[in-house]
Amino acid sequence: MTSPRNEPSVLTSSGIPLKVVYGRDDVPAGLTSGWPGQRPFTRGAHAQMYRSKPWRIFQLSGFGNPEDEGARIRFLLEHGETGFIMEHDRNTADHLYDLDHPDVVARHEDVGMVGAVIQSLEDYETVLDGIDIASVYAHPGGGVVQHAPFTLACYWSVAHRRGIPLASLTGTSQADFFLTYLGCITKQQIPTSAGLRLNLDTLEFCLERMPRWTPVSIAGYNGADSGLNGYQELGAVMANAVEYLDGLAARGTLDLARAASGVAGVNFRVSLDLFEDIAKLRAARTMWTQLLEQRYGIRDERAARLRIHSLTAGSQMTYQQPLNNIARGTIMALAGVLGGTQSLGISGYDEAVSIPSEHAHQMSVRVQQILQNECNLTAVADPLGGSFFVEALTAEVLERAWSFFGQIQDRGGFLATLDSGWLHTEAMQNQASQLEEIESGARKVVGVNFADGDVSEFEIDGFQGSSDAWERGIERLERIRARRNGNLHKRAMTELERACNSGANIIPPMIEAVTAEATVGEIGDVFRAAFGDWTPPIQF
Amino acid sequence: MNRHPPKRVLIAKTGLDGHWRGVSAVAHALRDAGFEVIFAGMARPEQIVAMALQEDVDLVGLNIGGRIEVALRTISGLRDEAPDIPVFVGGTLPPASMRQLAGIGVQGFPPGSSLSAIVDAARRLTGAEPSRPTPQDLGTPRGSSYEHHQPVPYQ
Repeated sequence: MTSPRNEPSVLTSSGIPLKVVYGRDDVPAGLTSGWPGQRPFTRGAHAQMYRSKPWRIFQLSGFGNPEDEGARIRFLLEHGETGFIMEHDRNTADHLYDLDHPDVVARHEDVGMVGAVIQSLEDYETVLDGIDIASVYAHPGGGVVQHAPFTLACYWSVAHRRGIPLASLTGTSQADFFLTYLGCITKQQIPTSAGLRLNLDTLEFCLERMPRWTPVSIAGYNGADSGLNGYQELGAVMANAVEYLDGLAARGTLDLARAASGVAGVNFRVSLDLFEDIAKLRAARTMWTQLLEQRYGIRDERAARLRIHSLTAGSQMTYQQPLNNIARGTIMALAGVLGGTQSLGISGYDEAVSIPSEHAHQMSVRVQQILQNECNLTAVADPLGGSFFVEALTAEVLERAWSFFGQIQDRGGFLATLDSGWLHTEAMQNQASQLEEIESGARKVVGVNFADGDVSEFEIDGFQGSSDAWERGIERLERIRARRNGNLHKRAMTELERACNSGANIIPPMIEAVTAEATVGEIGDVFRAAFGDWTPPIQF
Repeated sequence: MNRHPPKRVLIAKTGLDGHWRGVSAVAHALRDAGFEVIFAGMARPEQIVAMALQEDVDLVGLNIGGRIEVALRTISGLRDEAPDIPVFVGGTLPPASMRQLAGIGVQGFPPGSSLSAIVDAARRLTGAEPSRPTPQDLGTPRGSSYEHHQPVPYQ
């Protein structure tokens, strides 16, 4: 008689073989020890976990005009969101172009479709009108590395004008390399080395003056949804963190343990591979603790406590039978919750069709409220701790993530693997094999290659937002250029140029520039002149 | 060995949205099926038309991540200046956009479309024969296929 444990294996989405059943001897010694809130934090960042603080309901939103963006944020906050994330127009924000840039004019209909048009401090004030930013936790956009200093300077300036001390402001920046150097490659952006310099400037500025602000947030999500598998995502996130910590160590301006606490807010993708992603989040906290201790000798508790934001995999939401996506979002969210996430965003059920409609957005919040209030999920910290399977998988993901981290380091580090295209190749190969599995039917996706009959077809129109974002944005742009103090503006832009070229911290002159009503495209012109362009390493 | 030279397909992104998952998958699938793919990157409507003519392609594939209007303007430009070159469109296409495309006789491929359906459409639109796999193709991992092709810089 064969033991059920000797059955042929099934693989996780990362290719880790799964047994039929796990036992005590599958669990590596040492991993189950410890408690939530204690090193190495495998079991959770906080001792009481969700009893002391429920996870933050943190949804991405933004489209159209600044007024549209503000209205949607207020809508979400009224419906129970507990922090807000601003999404900016890709044409202008991602590229640092004003609306009259020829590349934007050529596609003016697209403007504002997947993010709000925010070109100036005034636009920021319009978005945030009626939102109590002194008490609400915010991520004011700036997911794109080259865009982050502008958007942060605007957000902080709005706070300053309202009399809110920067030191008391709560929120997070992102400035993520995975986003536009791996996942959604822009037509034009500054080189990775210049991007690193901007992020180090932001880290320094925030760590010195804004103790309640997370200065950067590495977003593994953007790597994972572009094809990196779970342990690759984790290994690459840690390799990215090393770029920041090594960079700050080289500057020598900050205590490194303090610096590490500024890098310890990260983002992961949670997907439909429920247990692997639970294991990934548990492994991530462990790996961070190990990285700090082994590489930097940091044992500081605050620095070693990794804080995680989880976002459900947009690429796993289907166009076909879109209501099924509510179930998918719930399961993916569960991975975040059981893995001990600190905040959570659920993709809209209309993700494959458009940015979220009000209803889809509301549903994402409602699902989170159901998870928080109806399921007793918040009662027990690390409910899967001690599960033979979950502990074994956590150890396996951790080991593979370290190995992938080593491969990146062997190739010169995280930014070098972005510059060379090595990471892109890894992502593309995974993506191709996933598609092959779907194409062949080896991997079943309900409504797509399997169970595609629908007794009552539910069609989503696709949220289209506002169609006048370009025209109205052009009017604002012209008004700002005409009315602003030319001398003040010129002086501020010269200071910004000087900082770019001298290596002085970019953030103070950026704040001066946005205060003098510099526009996003003008900031881009300064950056392009000072830093040049990145050459994407991939071919399609 | 193919008796005819491979059909040439120009693939372009109409918007400034950098998501490349879909367009990359389609480009690889077409190459694996024997097409020669020229990748235009993010190009403006008039640039796409000019490139289609200059490269003397047999088909244009538009990847759209923004509104349908930009694709419609591109299609209209192609029909004016290169009426013999057929077009198909893929990307984030809400049902209303799919109907608009159908109304002007253009096939659209929303997320979740099968790659073999896209390849079949490319063959039909170009009159290409189904290609037989070459010995080199057999046993070649799909993900590495782009290494065998003339690189086109991403823009």
